[in-house]
Amino acid sequence: MESLVDQLIRVQEEGAAGVLATVVEVERNGEVQPGDNCLVRDGKLAGGKIRHARLLDAVLKEAEARLKEEKSKMVSLELPQGGGKIDVFFEVLPSPPKLIVVGCGHIAVPLAKLAKVLDFHVTVLDDRILFANRDRFPDADEVRVGDMAAILKEMSITPSTYIVLITRGHKYDELCLRETIYSPAKYIGMIGSRRRIQACFQRFREEEKIAEEVIQRVYAPIGLDIGTETPEEIALSIMAEIVKVRRGGTAKSLSGK
Amino acid sequence: MAGPGACHEDRDIKGAKKDSIYHQIKEFLDKGETLAVATIVSTKGSTPREVGAKMIVTAWGEILGTIGGGCGEADVKREAIEVIQTRRPRTVRVDLLDDISSDSPAVCGGIMNVFIEAWWKQRETEDRG
Repeated sequence: MESLVDQLIRVQEEGAAGVLATVVEVERNGEVQPGDNCLVRDGKLAGGKIRHARLLDAVLKEAEARLKEEKSKMVSLELPQGGGKIDVFFEVLPSPPKLIVVGCGHIAVPLAKLAKVLDFHVTVLDDRILFANRDRFPDADEVRVGDMAAILKEMSITPSTYIVLITRGHKYDELCLRETIYSPAKYIGMIGSRRRIQACFQRFREEEKIAEEVIQRVYAPIGLDIGTETPEEIALSIMAEIVKVRRGGTAKSLSGK
Repeated sequence: MAGPGACHEDRDIKGAKKDSIYHQIKEFLDKGETLAVATIVSTKGSTPREVGAKMIVTAWGEILGTIGGGCGEADVKREAIEVIQTRRPRTVRVDLLDDISSDSPAVCGGIMNVFIEAWWKQRETEDRG
C-alpha cells in the first residue's frame, strides 16, 4: 500500500491539489488522538487514517473550504452528538495555477511566455493549426487545436484555473464564455471594446437568462489600465490583472502616486 | 479528445518540485530513520514565518527547513528530540516576547503554536494494527 508520504509527493508531482488534515488537540473524544491525519484529494479521502466517521465528515467539508481559500489554517471542529471538540490543522497543498489561453493570435504569444515566467501551467488553444503550434509556443505546457468551445468543455477547470478569451472574433469569445461562465475558474477575462462586451452581456441576460452576479465575475474588457500600446504590453496588463486576482492586491502604485 | 485534427501534447509540469519537504521526509524514512516534523499551526502577533512553515528535526538533532531561526527554534528542537524518542506528538507554544535568553536581533514579539509529531516508515501500518 502507498504510504502517506508517497501520496503527498504524488499530489505535488501530478500538479494536483490536496489538503493534509492533522489532529492537533482533542477534547472529550476517546477515539481520536493527536497526530491522526488524513489526506483529502478531489474531495475524497486519499490516504491517512482518520477512521472516526463524524470527524471525517467534518474534515472533508472543512478541507474543501481551506482549498478554496488556498490557505493553511487550524480549525476547531465541534462534533455533533457529543463527539467532542477537535482542533485540526489543515495544510493546503495547492495545485500550480493553470492558465488557459483561448485564441493563439498576436497577444497569446507574449502572454504564454510571461505566464511561464510566472510559473503558471499554460495551455494555449485555437482552431487554426497555423496559429496553435509548437513553433509559436515553444514553452507552453499544452498546445491544442480544434473547436475551442468543445476543447474547453472537456478540459478540467478548477478554482486554480485562469481563463483568457482572446480569439480572433467576438463570436468565438462569446461561445467560449458561454462554455466557461459557470465553471469554478478563479478568473475569466475577455478581450473587446466596452460596447461589444455590453452587447454580449445583454444577450446573456435576455437569451440565456444568466444571473447578474454570474455575468459580473467576468473581467471584460480584460486587463489593468497601464496605458498599453503593444501586444507585449497588453499581455503584461492581462497577467498583472491575473496576479492581482490571485494574490489580492489593489493594483495601485505603492507610492500612492 | 478535441475532435478531428486535434493535437494534444502534454509535457511534464515543470513547476512540480522534486525537492519539496515531503521528498526530504521520504528520503529519511526510507533510510529507516524516525523524524520529528514541526509545523507552525497558529500565530498571534508578529512572527518570523507563516502558518504552515515546517522544520524537520532528525534523531541526531540535524535541522532541515526553518520555522524562523533563533526565535524559539532551539526550544522546538529540544522538544522535537523528545517527540522522536516517545513518538507522541505535542504542541509547543513559543512566546517570542519571552525569549529573554536570546540576544538575537531577530526577536519578533509574537506567539506561535508549533505542532511536533514523529514520522517513521511503518507509522501508518502500526497505527492500523
